[in-house]
Amino acid sequence: MIELSVSRLNKRFGGNHVLKDVSFDISGAEMVGLIGPNGAGKTTLTNVLDGAVKPNSGTVYLNGTRIDQLPSFEVAKAGLGRTFQVTRSFRRMTVLENLYVPAMAQGRSHKSAEVQEEALEVLDFLTMAHLRNEYARALSGGQQKLLELGRLLMLDPDVIILDEPFAGVHPKLMEVIYEYIRRVNERGKAMIIISHQMDSIFALCKRLLVLNYGDLIADDTPEKVKNDPVVIEAYLGTTEDRSGTGQHDDETRSTDG
Amino acid sequence: MKRQNVPQLLGALIVVFFVAFPFVYSGGNYDYIMHICIIGFFYAILASSWSMLAGYAGQFSFGHMAFMGLGAYTTALLCHYFFLSPEPTGICTEFAIGGHYLIVKNPIGVTSTTLTQDCLAQAMDKWNGTVEVTPMPVWLGIILGTVVGGIFGLLIGLLVLRLRAAYLALFTLGFSEILRATISAEIQITRGQAGLELPSLFENGITIAGHFFSKTDKIPPYFVMLFLLLGCLAVLYWLSQSRFGLFVRALREDQDAAAALGVNTTRYKVLVFVVTSSMAALAGTVYAHYVTIITPNNLMILQMSLVVAMAVIAGVESFIAAAIGAILIEFILEMLRTSFSIGGVTVDMTLWRLVFFGVVLMLTLRFARNGLLVPIIDFFTRGHVAAETVARRSDETAKTQNRETQS
Repeated sequence: MIELSVSRLNKRFGGNHVLKDVSFDISGAEMVGLIGPNGAGKTTLTNVLDGAVKPNSGTVYLNGTRIDQLPSFEVAKAGLGRTFQVTRSFRRMTVLENLYVPAMAQGRSHKSAEVQEEALEVLDFLTMAHLRNEYARALSGGQQKLLELGRLLMLDPDVIILDEPFAGVHPKLMEVIYEYIRRVNERGKAMIIISHQMDSIFALCKRLLVLNYGDLIADDTPEKVKNDPVVIEAYLGTTEDRSGTGQHDDETRSTDG
Repeated sequence: MKRQNVPQLLGALIVVFFVAFPFVYSGGNYDYIMHICIIGFFYAILASSWSMLAGYAGQFSFGHMAFMGLGAYTTALLCHYFFLSPEPTGICTEFAIGGHYLIVKNPIGVTSTTLTQDCLAQAMDKWNGTVEVTPMPVWLGIILGTVVGGIFGLLIGLLVLRLRAAYLALFTLGFSEILRATISAEIQITRGQAGLELPSLFENGITIAGHFFSKTDKIPPYFVMLFLLLGCLAVLYWLSQSRFGLFVRALREDQDAAAALGVNTTRYKVLVFVVTSSMAALAGTVYAHYVTIITPNNLMILQMSLVVAMAVIAGVESFIAAAIGAILIEFILEMLRTSFSIGGVTVDMTLWRLVFFGVVLMLTLRFARNGLLVPIIDFFTRGHVAAETVARRSDETAKTQNRETQS
């Protein structure tokens, strides 16, 4: 069973203490939402988990392997994959080549029929099969987001972190992303979803982590988090604000967390 | 024939043309034209390997000519200072190896050999022709020069791991200038601006298929450089089609995203430096043995700019385009040497040709950022993609509509 164990993570950038003793565990195919205001440390936490940034202290174990001191590519091979808040497709490479990169990084060959079929299946699922030979730069912003998700399917990690998967996405594409998340979760993968879109987070996740200026101030079910006075004070706003659809949050907190 | 196969056919024709050229061309300026071809092939190796480094991997290095120079100077120094003798000189630094002695000549700098002789020359005088010393074999110098280029490529690759874009360019430019300045300053060993002379590629001539070619014949070096170019292009092609090619392009696009997908970016960044600097050094060693002299001017920034301009004008994202571009531009630059008069005013093209070249470079950067040849290659290799995408989309839409109608 998948086990991600984060223990007392600390990260400082100069005098800015971005993560303060952050600890949590994820086991099995959990779908966990990670929310918090801008500057809460969400992206830093993601960067520490994926090895792009080394923590000042604390440990991260994935399936019994310590990964907090490993470089990103080894963390990916250990079974943790991520997307980026701002889509980072390989723009001057074709859609298929984008998908071959993670497959080949695992030692598979892009010339094998198995990998080629798998890539086409992924594209089919993402409704992008017709775009297979186009350069990624020719895709729309939403399609590039889907391509990034497709790359993760080819990497097939145990734990997936999606950083703002719904930002700037129109409703039809949102459906594809919802379906993606459900299907990946059904495969037994654990997911951490970072989003400011409260509706989506509440609909998808049965557990929420709330970061506030480096502190993990809540780790509970969405219902309890919604009514947690500390969270309301720090992030969700007043009861009147929360009666809406989360639009207020999207408009006022649209940048990097 | 499919449109996608046209570039391969053209490539094969170009290869056949260059293989046949020395045997069918019979102009009065034969040696000059052959020389331009050899230098064109030399620049083609440099431009294509630099295209792999900068165009594919996104490592915009200005140190490529320095690696060329490292290779050239390695073989030059080895050939200049190292000899094998059956007898000890007693005055040189020497090491017994088996029944022979490895002689290392003492450096005497730039001086008249009638006034100062190196230790080996003195020993040879003393022996009066009774002892025959063996110079360093040219092939060994070429191999060692290539290895040294690769080792320095590894070191520079490791040093620039964290550098990107302008910082990488400045770092490699600094390395190149330091190397040039060091060679210029170490007159005692490198002979500074006077340059180091080297033995010819085939110092004693060579017999091929019963025909003897003297050391000044152009055909042997022509084919050595041509096959070297074809070998380098074959290696680059193989790399570009493999895991290596895919990963270095991912590295160029987004290093962090590539690492997050499991690509060992450090390994491939260093590897691309090692491969391309080895190629530059290899080209440098053969070039040095062809022109038989190497000076620090060969490492000048102007020379590096020429390689960059050749690759950029042709298209830096295709090493094939860069190679073809380098040969064409070398020819055009030579053809432009002919001065002419307009209304009694003589235009000295030996100077103005570089201005012309600069203007072409600027116009290419402004109006054709993919270069002039890459769009042509793309027309054949990717011209069908848009139509395919549209056709597939229509198919998918039709299938969806059918499903909806049936349900």
